[in-house]
Amino acid sequence: MLRSKNVSLVLLVVLITASLLGCQSNATSVPASDEKNITIVIAEDPPSFNPIIADTGYDALVMELVMLGLSDIDPDGNIFPELAAELPTAENGGVVYDEATGGMTVTWKMRQDVQWADGEPVTADDVIFTYDAIVNPETGGWIPGIDYIDRVEKVDDYTFTVYYTSVYPGYLTQFGREQVAIWPAHYCDASQGFAAWDCARQPLSDGPFVLKEWVNGDHMTFVRNENYFEDGKPALDTVTIRIVPDQSVRKTMLINGDADLDMWTTEAMIADLQNQPNVSVDPSPTNRWVMRIFFNLAEKGTTDAAATPHPILSDLKVRQAIRAAIDVDTISKEFFLGYAKPVWTEFFRPPYTCDISRPKFDIAAASALLDEAGWTDTDGDGVRECHGCATAEEGYKMEMEFITYSEFGEPLELTQQFIAEQLGKIGIQLNLTVVEGSVLWAAATDGGIEQNGNFDMDLWDDGYAGIDPTDFIYSYYSETSATPDMGYNFMRWINAQFEELLNGSYTLDEAQRQRNFCEMAQILDQELPQLLLFTVVNADAHSARLQNVRSTTNDLVTWNAADWTLK
Amino acid sequence: MGTYILRRLIQTVGLLVLLSFLLFALVNLAPGGPLAGQGQNRHTDPEKVELLKRQLGLDKPLPTQYLIWLVGNDWMQIDKNGDGVLDSYGTRQGIFRGDFGFSFRTRQPVLTEIGQRLPNTIYLTTITMAFAVLIAIPIGILSAIRQYSAFDITVTTFSFAGQAIPEFWLGLIMILVFYAWLKNPFTGDPLLPSGGIAANLGRFDLWDRVAHLILPVLTGALGWIAWYSRFLRSSMLDVVHQDYIRTARAKGLPYGVVLYKHALRNALIPLITLLALDLPYIFGGAIFIEILFSWPGMARLYYQAALDRDYPILLAVLIIGAAFIILSNLIADIVYAYLDPRIRYE
Repeated sequence: MLRSKNVSLVLLVVLITASLLGCQSNATSVPASDEKNITIVIAEDPPSFNPIIADTGYDALVMELVMLGLSDIDPDGNIFPELAAELPTAENGGVVYDEATGGMTVTWKMRQDVQWADGEPVTADDVIFTYDAIVNPETGGWIPGIDYIDRVEKVDDYTFTVYYTSVYPGYLTQFGREQVAIWPAHYCDASQGFAAWDCARQPLSDGPFVLKEWVNGDHMTFVRNENYFEDGKPALDTVTIRIVPDQSVRKTMLINGDADLDMWTTEAMIADLQNQPNVSVDPSPTNRWVMRIFFNLAEKGTTDAAATPHPILSDLKVRQAIRAAIDVDTISKEFFLGYAKPVWTEFFRPPYTCDISRPKFDIAAASALLDEAGWTDTDGDGVRECHGCATAEEGYKMEMEFITYSEFGEPLELTQQFIAEQLGKIGIQLNLTVVEGSVLWAAATDGGIEQNGNFDMDLWDDGYAGIDPTDFIYSYYSETSATPDMGYNFMRWINAQFEELLNGSYTLDEAQRQRNFCEMAQILDQELPQLLLFTVVNADAHSARLQNVRSTTNDLVTWNAADWTLK
Repeated sequence: MGTYILRRLIQTVGLLVLLSFLLFALVNLAPGGPLAGQGQNRHTDPEKVELLKRQLGLDKPLPTQYLIWLVGNDWMQIDKNGDGVLDSYGTRQGIFRGDFGFSFRTRQPVLTEIGQRLPNTIYLTTITMAFAVLIAIPIGILSAIRQYSAFDITVTTFSFAGQAIPEFWLGLIMILVFYAWLKNPFTGDPLLPSGGIAANLGRFDLWDRVAHLILPVLTGALGWIAWYSRFLRSSMLDVVHQDYIRTARAKGLPYGVVLYKHALRNALIPLITLLALDLPYIFGGAIFIEILFSWPGMARLYYQAALDRDYPILLAVLIIGAAFIILSNLIADIVYAYLDPRIRYE
């Protein structure tokens, strides 16, 4: 019944079947040795080439290799045209403000020398097709500011006009940047719908490279687009993206010369790669992600700061004391290896920078503020209680939950512990919790911790994409955003003067915007609904032979892949 | 026996329906949700949340979502464009008709996603299991017949170590040694690749395939070898002390014949049952192995889906996995009865 010969036979059959099963793939030619080929290693597959659907960053990374938008932003914050022939402004007549309706029209002129990889020209029809696909209520997507658009009309094959119902300051990059590509009307199947169409997985290229092969979970191969409009570009023949989930393996591949680029390189990895002769790390000139503490001004479990104020955090002096008690420089040095840069206002990077003085780290001042606010420790247990405070009952203990998210990893958890230790020194006891981001940030209907107000203090990072902070500020500090699932004003902080300034910043008058933003910065500094701490590094490690890589917070590192060369 | 199998299969269907309810409830009621921010965005904009809820079918109450998951919505009118009017029939067929829906993350059919990953996992896990069994059987036999010998003691020590060493640690060390440190003396390249299935999937090169298998198979098989060899050792020890073995020896049969024909065949019976019970591993794969060795398999698909709260993928993997487990148990029972004539199912 069970003979060893039979066992061997069965095993042999299993082995052969298994190896055949694992061999499903399309044919790939082996590149000749004189070709210029590079390998990018990333942690996970992009969901598609359309970042509007999932916005994981990986989708934008591959989109930038094959697709173009109307415009993009360089690492220094300058907007430049891609498919557009020039950027429409009020000065060149491209933007017309209609005082009667309060709306504006933007007329875009497109380049006439850009073709899809199949030789068809890229025209205004493609832009209108893309817009129609996005706004389709059944199968479409959503991009910031799309609700301000009434319609898009074709003027001629290479000109179209966007009609806005109000002023939208971010209009220049609305159909570009890392977010929106223009899709080919003659190739994409509109009936499949924007969110699920096949052309987002097998795109027709008008960018520098063409997707040749995608083996899910393993690799993607791109070859140069012979029809690319910039003469002599791209310089590379093949770009291979390998999916390598483990960070230490990606690092070893870089050191071994088997990988040329690792995106979103962490501080620890940058430090490890510092002395590797064949690897360079390229931090972007500005940073985007600001690590910050969110104060819940409403009582835990509630969402209205006026009706049910937080017994501890609704007192401004307490928030100021917390700010004074946190030593950001030590956090940067110890846990972020010196790469964290202290930040204390939302308006810290160009083009909108405001002069707000840096808060001082001063434990004594912090303690004094708490004493002054009526929080003292009379029972000697090291934790203050309310004795004459304005926001809580007599004897209420200064003890709160302090949450952060797990995906960031060790540096953030150490930061959380360090802050808890520092606040412990001034008599504030923090109980630490680490949860998954999808639990912390989930919708109120999904039991999201923040949307439901089930927290005291949270620690995590965010910052606005691109160079226009208006929508970002609106979603975090506006009154509308303080309603659960209507935005991210988890602090439930409402300020009428701030609201007026914010509404006034939806204008094309740049000087006015700058003024409003800096007045808003002053209010945020005085009121302290959030405590901004530092930016985390934005860098991409690459092989020394790969030239012209420029990391940026305004896009993914592949934004200028057409310019990359090999030494 | 036929009636028994039929009865078990009918029970399996009932069990799977019950499981489908439990799994759906667990996955949906677990904290967090697919509408939290992904990747670059901490949050999904409120306008987008509303759109996504409708597109992903999350706007309906959970019992309705469960019903649609089971039997589809092509028989009911739905509101596709969000204007509050039921305007057309749905397109979902439900898992009873083999439609597992589409992934929230990629908007691809779930079965397409699984189909891309499953062959890779089966490829790696069958070879790992086969390799483990091939090594474990001789080790188990030798340890048993030379009980308390130096070999037995050494193997026992390594077995415990094999079971105790975590895969993620061993895998990293393997990569460090065979990829980062050791070089091929002829070409100067790393001795073994760091991961993936092949250097070039389009061109079949046997040595390249084997080279890519060595590290994940060794790392994955170590624990299984330890486990199976220990198991066979004790099973073999049980058998060799039985009266019929003594009888066989007493009637003058050669030692080898007694060992392989009388002892081993009986000692293998429990091991084969165990192997049948371990079959779900072949479907599910091993998460640390797939992550460390960049292996595009099921475990990574599931892990990513769990992080993203990609419910359709999660549920499909769970329910198919559950079916595998139930089926493996059934196979184990049947094989057991087949191999051991003393077992009868009525």
